Amino acid sequence: MASAAAPAEAFFLDAAPGRRFCLFFPPAGPCRGAVLYVHPFAEEMNRARHMAAVQARALAQQGYGVLLLDLHGCGDSSGDFGDARWDTWKADLALGAAWLRQRLGAPLTLWGLRLGALLALDAVRDAAFPVARVLLWQPVQKGSTYLTQFLRLRTAGAMLDGSGAADAPPSGTDALRSALRAGETLEVAGYDLAPDLAAAIDALAPLEALAPACPALWFEALRGAGQAPPAAAAHAQEAWRQQGVALATHALPCPTFWITPEVDASAAWLEATTAAVCEEVAAHAD
Amino acid sequence: MYLDEVKTILIDVLGLGAAGQRLQADSALLGSLPELDSMAVVSLIGALEEHFGIVVSDDDISASTFETLGSLTDFVAAKLAA
Repeated sequence: MASAAAPAEAFFLDAAPGRRFCLFFPPAGPCRGAVLYVHPFAEEMNRARHMAAVQARALAQQGYGVLLLDLHGCGDSSGDFGDARWDTWKADLALGAAWLRQRLGAPLTLWGLRLGALLALDAVRDAAFPVARVLLWQPVQKGSTYLTQFLRLRTAGAMLDGSGAADAPPSGTDALRSALRAGETLEVAGYDLAPDLAAAIDALAPLEALAPACPALWFEALRGAGQAPPAAAAHAQEAWRQQGVALATHALPCPTFWITPEVDASAAWLEATTAAVCEEVAAHAD
Repeated sequence: MYLDEVKTILIDVLGLGAAGQRLQADSALLGSLPELDSMAVVSLIGALEEHFGIVVSDDDISASTFETLGSLTDFVAAKLAA
């Protein structure tokens, strides 16, 4: 049975530039592995924060040491969101991975949610630090599509506050992309989006081309019990299998907690993730 | 004709639960549902695009589209008929 978990440890890691806020959930009992959480983008990070913490605690009770690290310019880490860059974020992951290696000396699972999943996969591709497997929660399919949806928050915001008048600043995504290409930093839904970061997200390879060199656990949230996973996800999963990725897929009904926090209804999702993480290690222990 | 499908998607995306079942064609969305913030609007559009296989343009994101459940359903029907 699971031992009582030690309380989470909050601290800062020195990084470049500034420092990163970390929340570490130490493993209860003998350590079975290390997990580094890669949070999603902008406001999705805040909305998913509670679910991430609950999942981290559940994994800690099963013997995993889990590190929740706020990337540069996010959460309680130093820097403004407008200072954030894709490569700095990957360096932050390397920093978190090094800390976990030193603390636990255990194989690392990179656990990414939404755009965090793409960041995790991009980091695995760089191979700057060893990753034993990835755990993907609702991975974003394509960086460029995600960027369009993020820019759309501005269009939607203009509609909601009734400022979509003719003299309002342009809010269509084409105009916003042009502004970014011209080097302008854009404020979207309260977040300053730097042109460099937008360009990096825009240029990301699609999920199907990001097959990792390690085993992968992939969770897709369905809107209802009878729903099939999105065709794009199924397509990418098939591409990965053809490339020989050891892939375990899970699709189950779960509210979109990165948009609408609704934790109670997501217990099945949390339990399925914990079970999959533990099962996979048992299978690989032979 | 698509009202129930749109309503189900709306309930799921906004996390309205049982309370959402009371929504009808003339139920106001914009300004009446606190859950309908900008993230929910973008997510709702994405869910509608995926479910119905339609493409929503920036110009479609207007108050007239999101005024009521009925206006949103009419919008979907018009896209499907186009």
